[in-house]
Amino acid sequence: MLAGAAALGLTSTLAACGGSDDKDSGDSSGPVKLTYWSWAPNMEKVAAIWNKKNPDITVTVSKQASGAEIVSKLITAKKAGNAPDLIQAEYQSLPTLVSNDVLADISQYVKDAKSEFAEGAWKMVTLGTDAVYGVPQDSAPLMFYYREDLFKQHGLSVPKTWTEFAEVARAAKKAAPDAYLTTFSSNDPGLFAGLAQQAGGQWWTVDGGGKWTVGIDDAGTQQVAEFWGGLVQEGVIDNQPMYTPAWNQALNKGTHLAWISAVWAPGVLVSSAPDTKGKWRMAPLPQWKSGDNVTGSWGGSSTGVSSDSKHAEAAAKFARWINTDPEALAALVKYPAVYPAATKGQSGDILTTPEFFSNQADFYTTAAEIAATAAPSAWGPNVQTAYTAFQDGFGSATKAKKEAQFLSALSTMQSKTFDDMKKQGFEVTEA
Amino acid sequence: MTPLTLTADATGPSRARRTAWVPTLVLILGALYCLVPIAWVIIAATKDRSELFSTFSFAPGTGLLQNLSDLTAYRDGIYWQWMANSAFYAGFGALLSAAVSAAGGYALGRYSFRGREAVFKLILAGVLVPGIVLAVPQYLLLSKMGLADSYWSMLLPSILSPYGVYLVRIYAAASVPTELMEAARMDGASEWRIFSRIAVPMMMPGLITVFLFQFVGIWNNFLLPYVMLADDTKFPITLGLYTLLAQGASQPALYTLVITGCLLAILPLIALFLVIQRFWSLDLLSGSIKS
Amino acid sequence: MTSAPLKGSDRVEVGPLADGTGTAPSVRPSSPRRRGRSAPYWFLAPTLTLFAAFTVIPIGYAVWLSLHKVQVKGIGLGKGARAEVWNGFGNYADVLNNSEFGHSVLRAFGYGLIVIPTMLGLALVFALMLDTPKARSASFARLMIFLPYAVPGIIAALMWGFLYLPAVSPFYYLLDKFGLPEPDLFNGGNLYLSFANIAVWGGTGFNMIVIYTALRAIPQEIYEAARIDGASDLRIALSIKIPIVMPSLVLTFFFSVIATLQVFTEPMALKPLTNNLQSTWSPLMAIYDSAFLKSDIYGASATAVVLALATFVLSFTLLRISDRYTREDRA
Repeated sequence: MLAGAAALGLTSTLAACGGSDDKDSGDSSGPVKLTYWSWAPNMEKVAAIWNKKNPDITVTVSKQASGAEIVSKLITAKKAGNAPDLIQAEYQSLPTLVSNDVLADISQYVKDAKSEFAEGAWKMVTLGTDAVYGVPQDSAPLMFYYREDLFKQHGLSVPKTWTEFAEVARAAKKAAPDAYLTTFSSNDPGLFAGLAQQAGGQWWTVDGGGKWTVGIDDAGTQQVAEFWGGLVQEGVIDNQPMYTPAWNQALNKGTHLAWISAVWAPGVLVSSAPDTKGKWRMAPLPQWKSGDNVTGSWGGSSTGVSSDSKHAEAAAKFARWINTDPEALAALVKYPAVYPAATKGQSGDILTTPEFFSNQADFYTTAAEIAATAAPSAWGPNVQTAYTAFQDGFGSATKAKKEAQFLSALSTMQSKTFDDMKKQGFEVTEA
Repeated sequence: MTPLTLTADATGPSRARRTAWVPTLVLILGALYCLVPIAWVIIAATKDRSELFSTFSFAPGTGLLQNLSDLTAYRDGIYWQWMANSAFYAGFGALLSAAVSAAGGYALGRYSFRGREAVFKLILAGVLVPGIVLAVPQYLLLSKMGLADSYWSMLLPSILSPYGVYLVRIYAAASVPTELMEAARMDGASEWRIFSRIAVPMMMPGLITVFLFQFVGIWNNFLLPYVMLADDTKFPITLGLYTLLAQGASQPALYTLVITGCLLAILPLIALFLVIQRFWSLDLLSGSIKS
Repeated sequence: MTSAPLKGSDRVEVGPLADGTGTAPSVRPSSPRRRGRSAPYWFLAPTLTLFAAFTVIPIGYAVWLSLHKVQVKGIGLGKGARAEVWNGFGNYADVLNNSEFGHSVLRAFGYGLIVIPTMLGLALVFALMLDTPKARSASFARLMIFLPYAVPGIIAALMWGFLYLPAVSPFYYLLDKFGLPEPDLFNGGNLYLSFANIAVWGGTGFNMIVIYTALRAIPQEIYEAARIDGASDLRIALSIKIPIVMPSLVLTFFFSVIATLQVFTEPMALKPLTNNLQSTWSPLMAIYDSAFLKSDIYGASATAVVLALATFVLSFTLLRISDRYTREDRA
């Protein structure tokens, strides 16, 4: 059976081998063919809706490994003149991509889409300039997820502030010595960045004079590093990385009682902790000052058009459609399960309560309220350097469980990022 | 330098004597050590999502059929497309590689000509260059020819195997007698005819070895497709499984699919080994590295 | 753009003899046996063409890249903010001054010190055991020990990764059952052992087959003679078999050293499972990090060239030593 399948595939493979020259078919006659690099699952199903409605512009989705790798691949492809027409780009990689001339300015086609989005979301794709480098696709505000049943069982209350969070962490450790409230993962700089945003951290900023400022080691971020370092040192917060089989098991077995994550968490919990369905609840992120109401973001992406594209207008039309058209938004929610950035995608009946959170009927109402409080993020052109420095520095700090090392790791992260920008020739200062 | 098969009777001309227990025990322990992870992956593939992390590792689960159908259903059966791609890259690539090595190694092993040693050493030095050094320049150069992200971009760089050339050279020198070549020349046979009708059949065990090494090498190659390919319908199985595993933060790795996929991905190789081993010769000069 | 592939295929027909080899094509009309003379070049043509196209030219390009860098102007946004400029040996200076790269090389050597003796030692022991006439279940064991060779490195690393994690591993399950101490396999020195185990698992079988095949090529009469003289199996193994398979051992050693310097798959696959692994743990990871995560192909090329040169120097030293052994074998 296997051999048969292989042989079948082989003939089609051979046939395809002959004429793989469709790259050059950029004539004005015939339908426009666009390629779209995306890592979101099932994105091709959304594109299929478009293709049905727009026979003159067909979009082919090519699925990529996510995150940092797609950025390098795009930059190399751009260097070779091969970049796809459409790109799913995380917000934090936009400056890198723009700086490498991968993304085209599509303001002339999509400028008036601004009103469809919250101001913060739109700011992410303009980088504070007059240009527009993409259309926001999804937002990922941070929230506090916790095991409602276990919190009740151990008599824990949902923390409103980080001070309360620390107390809950201690109480949880006391009530269930084998368990932790949650973990501090040195493999996920994205989460740390989101927590820093909430505390007012502005890692990269551009001033009017045309100069970057690197502020990774700023007061807000220091506060976050010190806080988590203290809890890890105290032994009330786990120090193991997330997204490992062991972490899955901790969630599934309830040895982690909570998880700080973004609006997309239900999709992760479904497969990481399948036994805990209906036992979780979501609440706003704890605050630094009681009475405050602000959160950060972990992830989120936009749809950009590459500067290699011969069909920028058609591509921009698609980028706009997929992120603002009601039918497209509904499909985005249904298939890749993203939380749309467009304001009309966050309300109404597009979003139905995730099955995993059937006990929390107002999940998306609460989510929309939280989303509105997301602090703007400030990304720069060498996010990956900072992220690698985070993983290396905080990796040894979490392993050593030393609060002081958390702080020194942060200053190393700052200096490595700054030095790298300086070396590349950017006009840059330190905060 | 007799060709030797993997299952050839190890005892040779046997004299019935008492079993040597120490060697037997050592060998069985070695076999067990090698089997543990494979046994684990076979068992893990039978578990469903919740069983994978909750039941004892070596307790079989109940989800094998479900996993298989999930894997087949994943993105409309793209997994099987990856398998077919791998079979194509490895099979066709190894075939071309064996052919090129046959001609090249034969020339180096059976002719003396100016620059022979220099050419041989130069090609051999190619073994020493890490693939990662070549991958990016290869991509940029193939892009300039308009071949990046095509089946060719995966095939062409896989054809040349310095190690294959080396092996065939040794093999040709040992297995194709000069006298036979001279006799054929006297009869007026062309050099090509001598090569194709006399040398190739005599070198066949060596060529099969080259084919197998290259097949395994291409099947297991990760870096080249990672750099060259963007269109996931052209991915080989290694890269496909990697993308399954490396989902973004908002998407957890699809462990059950990856594990079932791993099992299915190694089965063809194991089957290939079992089927082809009777033809397979590993002569005493062989030595290679998996990359 | 469209003419490029055409040009490429032209070269296959016309240019290969003269290209990339450094040796003159010897199609001499005066030669009495013109046809026979040119034959080896024709047979070599595909090899040399491919070698030029996919090894020599890319290396040249890598060297070119390594001598350049990107210079950013201002805040580096918008068109024309980046320019590729000549950097001389600047990237090389960076590599050599980078202590992280030096550490990664040291780590690779440390890892090699564990892997190579263990792997080749086991391979030799297994091969000798297979060659013992009275050993039972030898053909089964031979196949099983060889089996890991068929498993792609990335999949092997993944499987072991699961077996290393306390939460899912059967070993920890057993340790826990018997109340034994549970080591952290990702901690400090254990990390080296964990990676080494994967490499040993994957590589022993292949090396065993190489050595075993060499053993099988020894005429049985030698042993018979020794046995008549009253030598034990152990004695025969130590004083006859091992010296005879020495060339194979040297060869496997040589390839193992190169593989060690290029260790990549195991740490790469296990990195997400632990917070103990630097992104530049091994030299190849450092190259990967700058080329595929930080998109600095210039610096990555320089690092790669340095690593390749180091490998060359090491290889030729080893090759010279191994030549001394293999020469007598070939004679």
